[in-house]
Amino acid sequence: MIPVLRHLGTLIGLLVIMLFFAAQLPDTFLTPRNLINISQQIAMLAVVAFTMTVVMVMNDFDLSVGSTASLAGIVAAVLFAMGVPIWVGVGAALAAGILGGLINGALVAFLGILPFVATLGTLTIFSGLAFFISGGETIFGRDIPKPFAEFARSGVPLDGVGLEGAQLPYLTIVAIATLALVWVTLEHTVFGRKLYAIGGNTEAARLAGIDVARARLAAFAITGFGAAVAGLMYASRVASANPTQGAGLMLDAIAAVFLGMTMGKQGEPRVLATLVGVLILGILDNGLTQMQVDSYVREMLVGSIVIAAVAISSLGRRA
Amino acid sequence: MKNLILSMAALGISASAALAQNVAIITPFLAQPGTQAYVSAFEAEAKAKGWTVNVIDTAGDVAAVISRIEDSVTQKVDAIVINVDPAQVAAGLQTAADAKIPVIGMDAGADPLLVTNVTSNGYAMAAETSVYVANRIGGAGNVVMFVFDAFPPVQVRGAVADAVFANHPDITVLDRVTPDVQDGGIADSRAKMEAILAANPEPGSIKAVWAAWDQPALGALQAIEAAGRTGEGIVITGIDANPQAREAIAAGGNFEASMAQDFAGIGKATFAATADAIAGKTILSKVMYVPTVLITAGNAAQ
Repeated sequence: MIPVLRHLGTLIGLLVIMLFFAAQLPDTFLTPRNLINISQQIAMLAVVAFTMTVVMVMNDFDLSVGSTASLAGIVAAVLFAMGVPIWVGVGAALAAGILGGLINGALVAFLGILPFVATLGTLTIFSGLAFFISGGETIFGRDIPKPFAEFARSGVPLDGVGLEGAQLPYLTIVAIATLALVWVTLEHTVFGRKLYAIGGNTEAARLAGIDVARARLAAFAITGFGAAVAGLMYASRVASANPTQGAGLMLDAIAAVFLGMTMGKQGEPRVLATLVGVLILGILDNGLTQMQVDSYVREMLVGSIVIAAVAISSLGRRA
Repeated sequence: MKNLILSMAALGISASAALAQNVAIITPFLAQPGTQAYVSAFEAEAKAKGWTVNVIDTAGDVAAVISRIEDSVTQKVDAIVINVDPAQVAAGLQTAADAKIPVIGMDAGADPLLVTNVTSNGYAMAAETSVYVANRIGGAGNVVMFVFDAFPPVQVRGAVADAVFANHPDITVLDRVTPDVQDGGIADSRAKMEAILAANPEPGSIKAVWAAWDQPALGALQAIEAAGRTGEGIVITGIDANPQAREAIAAGGNFEASMAQDFAGIGKATFAATADAIAGKTILSKVMYVPTVLITAGNAAQ
């Protein structure tokens, strides 16, 4: 019993949560429309959490993802305000994300600074940069091109599958594509195996001939890129950019990866398990709002669930 | 007889609908004192009418406001009240509009997708304090203005004060300062005011300081005190009447007046507008103003 709980406790938890909401909200929870809504609501967190999994596979962290997301949104919006084409603004924002990730990777891989300290430092730098570039203001209105804002409000029509009038949001599609890319990278490439080897034992990986520094650099760049993608998705969803708007993403993303890690054989992060973590957080938000549970109670519940999941998964290991 | 029963039944249904409404208030700013005041006032009115109010704080996250609007639409609430820039949550407003659920702004900003927005009149507040300044200095002398044109609600205040001072031929606007607000606005305003005082050392060379909000007024007050020029009768006014400003005004020094927004009044008026919207009444005005009060030494402590 305990081994089952240890590996599947979090998945069972997700199912229990879904069954609970389905019973409490029979008319509104398990409807296609609500499920599509949830997929769109969690899309930004999902992209950050999936790419955060890449560095957490090596037992590293990236605390700067929230401010990277804010910075990416600001970079795009400031360029939009200057009248550049959308693809230039988006490209520059993604480049800023990759560059930020490379800086994180270089600090960790070449200078040997602990990821916690290095990314705490860059968190502050990127946040300050976002404020500096934007003058501390929210960029919105005419400065944001209509097609950019429309992206988050549109999707692929689902009339063909019997859901008349509904559409699969583009934000959801971006999240699914990110999931697929990260899954292939981590599970089916040599690079992915190297990251797991580094996570298992860095010294052994080095002795086995893996270029640990280069792998780290690449992994942090992927995480920075993901944060920038999420920042652009966020800016599109709110049709504006604000120097603090991505701040909430970091802790939730780490929480989602931790929830997923409870399902790993050795407690290692797997991106499909991270998806379970993201779903738990997103579904709790959606269901508890519909049940009119106080938003502060929601926060306490989320924290308790993370602790409970990790506690259950460590039950067997301690015994 | 059958008709009578039917109409009585219909009345009963509409009466119970009027009694038990289900409303969501969604804001990223519940930690702000002003927001708390109007949410509390709304809740008090709603409680008296037996409504269910779900207050959702997204703790600064604007995208989460869109998500929670979507959830509230799924839950089929009778109305949604928001306290956030409507332009940033247009995606959520469209979802509510498609579901024909009215959304009311509580100090939010005007938007075609909102039934109405209940707020304070920035034009009127600036008119009151700038006219106060003009009258106090007898319509003549040098005035220093503190403005912030980058933020639309504050830009409006500056524009009104410009017009009032321009209408007095003997009033000269000595300087129109935009302070750096990164530090909260007091420290940089103080530094700017110290420089202006140094450049105008003659007593009486500065008659008044008009500030578009309280922080620069407090900074100017500190500068005047530090320069030892409190005795010159330089009149200072602010807007918002925050607790620190009220204390300064009550002390009876140079800081003479500010404008208090009626936050509880905004909450009550939003409740009334929500009730009207649910009842299907037409609300013509896209913005509804709640009166503000001039705060001077006489009423600052209230």
